[in-house]
Amino acid sequence: MGTKAKQAGLILIATVLGIFFIVPVIWMVTISLKSDAEAFLPNLSFIPDDPTIVNYTDALSGGDLNVPILRWIYNSLLVSVAGTLIVLAVDALAAYGLARLDVPFKKWLLSLFLSTLMIPGIIWFVPQYVLFQDLGLIGTYHAFYLPFTSSAFGVFLLYQFFRGFPKELEEAAHIDGANKWKIFYAVLLPSSKSILSTLAVLTFMGIFNDYIWPFYASGGNDTMQTLTSGIAVMTQGSYVNSPNKLMALSTIATIPVLVVFLLAQKAIVRGITQSGIK
Amino acid sequence: MKGSLRSRLTSSLFVLPYFLCFCVFLLYPLISGIILSLQNNDMLGTHEFVGLQNYVDIFTPGTYIHDAFFRGLWGTVKFVVYSVPFLILVGLALALLVNSLNARVRGVFRTIFFIPYAISATVMATIWMRVFDTDSGFLNLMLDKLHIHHQQHIGWFTDTPWVWIALVVSTIWWTIGFNMMLFINGLNEVPEELYEAAKLDGANAWNRLTRITLPSIKNVTAVVMVMTIIASFNVFAQPNLMTRGGPGFETTVMLMNVFDVAYGQHQGGAASAMAILLGLIMMIVSAAVYRLLFRKEA
Repeated sequence: MGTKAKQAGLILIATVLGIFFIVPVIWMVTISLKSDAEAFLPNLSFIPDDPTIVNYTDALSGGDLNVPILRWIYNSLLVSVAGTLIVLAVDALAAYGLARLDVPFKKWLLSLFLSTLMIPGIIWFVPQYVLFQDLGLIGTYHAFYLPFTSSAFGVFLLYQFFRGFPKELEEAAHIDGANKWKIFYAVLLPSSKSILSTLAVLTFMGIFNDYIWPFYASGGNDTMQTLTSGIAVMTQGSYVNSPNKLMALSTIATIPVLVVFLLAQKAIVRGITQSGIK
Repeated sequence: MKGSLRSRLTSSLFVLPYFLCFCVFLLYPLISGIILSLQNNDMLGTHEFVGLQNYVDIFTPGTYIHDAFFRGLWGTVKFVVYSVPFLILVGLALALLVNSLNARVRGVFRTIFFIPYAISATVMATIWMRVFDTDSGFLNLMLDKLHIHHQQHIGWFTDTPWVWIALVVSTIWWTIGFNMMLFINGLNEVPEELYEAAKLDGANAWNRLTRITLPSIKNVTAVVMVMTIIASFNVFAQPNLMTRGGPGFETTVMLMNVFDVAYGQHQGGAASAMAILLGLIMMIVSAAVYRLLFRKEA
């Protein structure tokens, strides 16, 4: 068999498999563009008879859905962005300290942080909820993003990178009279944009897509759901009979992560590679 | 190089913010989870110390907690057994496929296979509920068209073994891109010379795969396997949103029951004990798999 024929065969297989991966997403968009009447009819058509964006305008204006979707979008973006910024700041400082500075008990701290990466999160899920309850934070924004700041993943990722950072640059800055803080933000951070964007993307996607924690952390308050936990509640309620509305919402919920994902695919791959999995 | 006291103090300030977050939101809940598992705690503010009673209850047939724990464990173990082989083999197959494509189309297909990984659990469930719906789902309508199971639609979420097929297929769709990426990274690290030498020796494609590729990516495979087993033990969203544990208790998995006991039954202590036991099982299984894989070849 010639290489050309072989390559064509491989592309054919990949295309068939690709259809399996992409069709459900297209199906979501198709249903979201159908009218109520058409969405109820069982049919396989990928092109709606009478495409309408009413499900989207309904979703965004509240419409007859009776759920505060704009508020959910706001909640999701607020906690994902705030959480990501805090994680970046806190993790970068800690990783720099552990990788480069004379922090006491450095090795001990590092192994303490890293060992928690191997402990299944379910063990601290319920006690974490009890903690936020005791702090009176259930149903507030703080409950949504604060737990994410404790993950050792980002510290580990950045630590690996900072450790391999050439010492000469820091030493040159040190001779010029820069202190640790200045070296950190004027020398190290500007050279770490790519790894920081990797952590940012992964953290943003993690917070935005999580639905179990916000579901409980909202305290059952409708206006304090995120887009993802809100849709989860809706799939279990009476909205299961409005597939077109649910699909419109799902499409809205997918656009931000998909954009970030496609723009930052390289960063994600880098994150997977650099977290030391080889 | 040890700095002065002052230097060590300013250095510590860098680690301090994360250290505080870590202690308050992770270390404290971890320790208080162990204490919680020794309590009767109604999650509403009242609690009393009961020693190992929650653990005793889990192993006492007839109690609610016993049923919740073992039903959940059974459901989870089934999911692990059904899903892990496919998640590994399909992940590896996709990686091999992508890597053997022309450089021009390689990136496109890698992205396509990886896209579902960006989708949230709820959206994934919303989509697949429409695909697997008994009366108007995409799949059954498709089978209608092909005149398969035309008279009686398959109950993808209501009958065994279909329900497991539905859960495993949707899980593959949703998460396989991650495993594929890890395998692609591993494959890219295999030195090209090994293949050239094998070609000179006249080894065919199958021999090259089994004699060179697979042994060379052994470490990656071990890591992927452990990560996949852990992820499958943590299964929650798919059965919780799509099958709701049914039919009967068939797909009721452990995490669903931990949340049910904590928030439905208001028994935070028992839920914590269940979570800790599950965590221990997960750590033992993954350690065993890791050791097994490394011993074999070492």
